[in-house]
Amino acid sequence: MFRAQALLLALLLALAGLLGALGRERQRAAALGRAPDRAGGKVERCVTCHVRPEEDPGGAHARAAVGCSSCHLGNPFAFDKARAHAGMEPEPGALRSVARTCGRSGCHVREAARVATSLMARASGIVSVNRWAFGEVPEPRGTATMVDLLAKEERTPAEDHLAKLCAGCHLHALRASRDDAIHGNGSGCSACHVARRLPGAVPRPHPSVDAHVTDDRCLGCHSRSGRIALTYEGLYEIEPAQAAALGTAATTLHDGRPAGHAEADVHRRAGLSCVDCHLHTDLMGDGTRHEHSESQVEIACEACHGPARDGGETTWAEVRDPITRDLLRQQGETRPPGERVRLGRHGTPVWNLRPSEGGWSTLRKRQGVALATRPTPADANHRLPGHERLTCSACHSAWAPTCSTCHTRYDAEGAQWDFAKAAETPGRWVEASEGYDARPPALAVRPDGRIAPAIPGMVMDLDAAAASGPRFSRRLYASLDPHSTGKKARDCASCHLSSWALGLGTGTLSFESGAASFSPASPATDDARLAVDGWTLLDAPSPGIGTRVGLRSLDAAELRRALAVSACLPCHAKATDLVWRDFAGSKARLARGGTRCGFRSAGSPRPSARAEGAGLVGLKDIR
Amino acid sequence: MILGRVTFGLLAVALFSGLALAPFWSAGRALESLETLNGATPWGFFLRGVHAFSAWGFLLGTLAHLGEVLWKRTESRLRPAVWWRSVALLPVAVLALLGGFLMRGDAEAQAALAVWREVSSSVPIAGRALAALLLGLPGADLAPVSLHHAGTFTLLAWLLTAEHGGTLLPDLRSTVLAALASFAAAGLFPVSLGPPVAPDGALLLGPWYLLGLQGALLDLPVAAGWLLPLALLLAVGLVRHADGRARAALLALAAAWGAGYLALTLRLLLAAR
Repeated sequence: MFRAQALLLALLLALAGLLGALGRERQRAAALGRAPDRAGGKVERCVTCHVRPEEDPGGAHARAAVGCSSCHLGNPFAFDKARAHAGMEPEPGALRSVARTCGRSGCHVREAARVATSLMARASGIVSVNRWAFGEVPEPRGTATMVDLLAKEERTPAEDHLAKLCAGCHLHALRASRDDAIHGNGSGCSACHVARRLPGAVPRPHPSVDAHVTDDRCLGCHSRSGRIALTYEGLYEIEPAQAAALGTAATTLHDGRPAGHAEADVHRRAGLSCVDCHLHTDLMGDGTRHEHSESQVEIACEACHGPARDGGETTWAEVRDPITRDLLRQQGETRPPGERVRLGRHGTPVWNLRPSEGGWSTLRKRQGVALATRPTPADANHRLPGHERLTCSACHSAWAPTCSTCHTRYDAEGAQWDFAKAAETPGRWVEASEGYDARPPALAVRPDGRIAPAIPGMVMDLDAAAASGPRFSRRLYASLDPHSTGKKARDCASCHLSSWALGLGTGTLSFESGAASFSPASPATDDARLAVDGWTLLDAPSPGIGTRVGLRSLDAAELRRALAVSACLPCHAKATDLVWRDFAGSKARLARGGTRCGFRSAGSPRPSARAEGAGLVGLKDIR
Repeated sequence: MILGRVTFGLLAVALFSGLALAPFWSAGRALESLETLNGATPWGFFLRGVHAFSAWGFLLGTLAHLGEVLWKRTESRLRPAVWWRSVALLPVAVLALLGGFLMRGDAEAQAALAVWREVSSSVPIAGRALAALLLGLPGADLAPVSLHHAGTFTLLAWLLTAEHGGTLLPDLRSTVLAALASFAAAGLFPVSLGPPVAPDGALLLGPWYLLGLQGALLDLPVAAGWLLPLALLLAVGLVRHADGRARAALLALAAAWGAGYLALTLRLLLAAR
């Protein structure tokens, strides 16, 4: 038998419990939302509270269509804020949770999986080149990623350098981990697909989310390092002192850096955006873990302007790429199976390039405007003997941003934002230069043997001693497509008579007794024959090296060949000139005295005006 | 014994509160239906709390009563067959409660469902069939789980308890006391649900009474999920047939098992922090 006291105690406790429950019941009833609790055909109780129009991203991701939890996770069934917001992803698209947000089943599974392997997420090229430049790895290649690096507790000097100067520009960098360098709205998918919050714009709680990636989103990251996004717009970064000298001709970039004006890329002037040329595999990756950007980028000039490479053209009946097909469906477009289509280097169709009467036309994706695409003419300029190895950009890149000297040192006393720690931490990498420039690019020989534009990539003095690192000088050029394409190619003299283009650096080329010599404008401290911004010497036993395995300057033999024609250029400046049809024959005729050329009687080449000067085009020539 | 009678009362409270909850639960939308019960149904959270606390009380009462029986050496009062069936009440109670946990449908329940499917499947010969029978086919809704929770295991628990106590129904006083205790606990301590989706990198915990087993499965093969409980049941069951040192050895084995289980529970809780 139970004692009455036990029952009484239980009764009292039950009453206390009921009182507590009554209080919670009142709270529950008061907190219960009154608005509809469904979105996109499913329960979505987030929308009972988040009812303001400005909380709606609109478009394909409109609140009414997908609700909130599809992207932001959390608990769409919950009735109270704490439970509803538990497990929420404040930054949808972030690669840490992308498999459950953008990459969830039924949404963008393929794209999300590819993005994680893309170079914009892994940044393995930046990591390997930087570590190599610091002397930490034997060659500028490797599969280590920025994510690996940021996760490390103990960092090498190169890794610290990356974590403090470079790591903001990769898709894993969370919004909270950044300082104000990128001005993006998020990381992962959002870095490109969410509208940027522009300084001075009216604040919006929820930015729009869409497939059309506008150029300003690319600019956030690609306005640095090679600065191709700036170049494309006709802008080049300068030092504040240079801006002061330029006065009103200078401008200020979105993040406060000063810039000068140059001629924009011809594609930009035609209204083409970055994504009008670059394919989805260029941007989101193709699932392959490429080491460097040049192996991931599919689009090439030939894809649009021809002549198409072998296997570079097919019909839509043969196209299997499901992402392109989805893109077309989203655009409400169809392609007849028999219609020809050009392909990127790895086989991805350039879907906005279509056959048209007499050639091809390019569709501006966002505006739907078709532009006639001019094929590469089969004229003397494009069939000039001896130029078979030149890439299109070697001649058609009008200029490139140039930072010829860089001094990097570690200041142990300073502090700097650390993208790995999401905070300012002790130690600061200080960079200084003698100023930026914009000039026609130099020429490099790529690992595949082709000649392409190059700029000083790391012509620098490095002093990492304070970080227990090395102290040395590096003289590395980097090959890139500057994105300053001009309809008109650079002229012959801008390469053959330019010490800068030939990789010798700034100085004077002169010719004595038929032999060329070079006098640097500013000799390097370690070798007086070498220009401070130079890459190689006229008679260097081995060419200068670059930021890729096998990338090099022109070697001594190539320089001799390039300079061999320099004497002829002042009179025979055009590719259509007869002397270039058979240059060896022309030289033989000259040797026999069968020409009217005064060169032979003069006894030495006549240097051009350019060769006597700085050997490069000044800023005023470009603007 | 009073403990045994109150335990039967708790089972009755769990049964009736479960019946009251049944109309609000949906097998295809388990978590959503429970969120609705908690958030949008007047006194729904309280009813769910009463159900949970009475069921947990039933399990604790069963364990405590078993300990009481062994302590007082009164197991011999039961015929061997009744004793073995009484011992079987322990796994039946656990399985009934586990079904209730799985019926939450949140991330913790989904993870527990996956673990128990593996554990059941690891039983030789009939494992996969057993898993399908008790838990349904992978990807299916929770209807089979709910059927066994409310039907099979509750009915078995009732029958075994009734046989053990020698009465079909609990007495009124015990039931009132059990109800009052459940009301008190449900009012004072809200019963929460887990997250709908597992947070990245988080260690999801199963029901509190199986944390020791969860901790053991971190290091041991999946078959340990049924071999370890079976070992305990055999040790406890054989006590009825042993005397003297053999009985002491079996009890020591069971005590060591319990101590180890508590240690594993503690280790898991520390790891989850």
